[in-house]
Amino acid sequence: MQESELMVRRIKEGTVIDHIDEGKGLQVLGALQIDGRDGSLITIALNVPSGKFKKKDIIKVENKFLADDDTNKLAVIAPKASINIIKNYKLIEKRRVSLPNEIDRIFRCSNPDCITNSHEHIESVMDVMDKEGRVLKCRYCGRVLDVNQLKYN
Amino acid sequence: MNEFYNKDIISIKDYNKDQFEKIFDYTQKIMNLDPSSRREICKGKTLSYLFYEPSTRTRLSFESAMASIGGNSLGISDISSSSTQKGESLADTVKIMSIYSDILVLRHPLDGSSRFASEISTKPVINAGSGTEEHPTQAIQDLFTIKKEKKKIDGLKIGIIGDLKYGRTVYSLLSGLGNYDVNVHLISPESLRIRSDSIYEIRKKLSFTESTNLEDYIEDLDVIYVTRIQKERFPDEEEYLKVKGSYVIGLDLLKKMKDDAIILHPLPRLDEISNDIDKTKNAKYFQQAENGKHTRAALLGLILNENGF
Repeated sequence: MQESELMVRRIKEGTVIDHIDEGKGLQVLGALQIDGRDGSLITIALNVPSGKFKKKDIIKVENKFLADDDTNKLAVIAPKASINIIKNYKLIEKRRVSLPNEIDRIFRCSNPDCITNSHEHIESVMDVMDKEGRVLKCRYCGRVLDVNQLKYN
Repeated sequence: MNEFYNKDIISIKDYNKDQFEKIFDYTQKIMNLDPSSRREICKGKTLSYLFYEPSTRTRLSFESAMASIGGNSLGISDISSSSTQKGESLADTVKIMSIYSDILVLRHPLDGSSRFASEISTKPVINAGSGTEEHPTQAIQDLFTIKKEKKKIDGLKIGIIGDLKYGRTVYSLLSGLGNYDVNVHLISPESLRIRSDSIYEIRKKLSFTESTNLEDYIEDLDVIYVTRIQKERFPDEEEYLKVKGSYVIGLDLLKKMKDDAIILHPLPRLDEISNDIDKTKNAKYFQQAENGKHTRAALLGLILNENGF
């Protein structure tokens, strides 16, 4: 067992989000609306030494299994992250996050004059222009979003 | 079937050089036809317009274009007299207007409004200006005018001057020019430089320089495209006053231009081009406005006729 894993308590059922880009752990928590209000155990480790990326953040959250929207948010905020699904203390699935071709609903367009920010009944659609460079463009107003200043619906 | 049949015109980014050339050919065909043949092209068809922002040229040129090819127009040019004032959504208004007509022309202050409308409408939608985002039919008339006046677009040196931040015609024109091999110089006050978050695709297709000094480039330009400072889009009047009148094309500057340079402007103009330029051979902005009628007639004819005309 690696030193980094010893630092946080094991979970029985839930998700471990590993290899989160250093310093992005709290942003991931906010984006996935993981706030502990449901009483689940949440463990967060920031700036954990990691051979692969020098430092990383880790989140362990009990009784939560990420939906597609959560995975997409994660792919934008922390593209190197991996998702580990834990059942009965055992790792049953491990997957890397990857950006889809389009992301619906979850991000708000940063342009206040975009029709998606009006009172019209319309949901945002972001086209992923560059998966590696994480370039997202609003399908409606055509503006490119700053991935470091995303707002969520 | 012609490729424009029953299609929306939302963004100039959706078109390539071949398609522009086809539109130019059909525009020339419209111009060459005798009036009675022209009136057969859209006989019995109805255009509806929905203008949430003031307009003179664009709305009237669509009406005039539709009349010239035998169609009718109806619509709302003053939104204060419509059900929008009662709180009706754009979606509902578009749905109703598309019932009453064969094609819908929309101008709206919000970016992305036309794309949204096209998803709602049962009839083709033409974007006649969406916020600071796009004005595709203006770009088509601009490109047509350049081609007509200079006999080519490739190889030209083009200066775009003025309000590059808020002027929607600029973004559409740049996207259109991205299909050609041109040298573009963008000249604006520092605070009105082009929006970097709106030119992701443009940067891939078009190289351009940015400057605040028109005089550095004026002698080399083949096309001088002047835009109005968009007072109504400034969040703060004081900011507008700082840049008002930044560039004025007058006879003194004209002397420094190439003899055969052309001056274009999407209009309306305020003080960017002095009136004494109007009668010079270089002033082409009124022809540009006239060309807008013909390019729009060609587009309407292509969208509304399965086999072209």
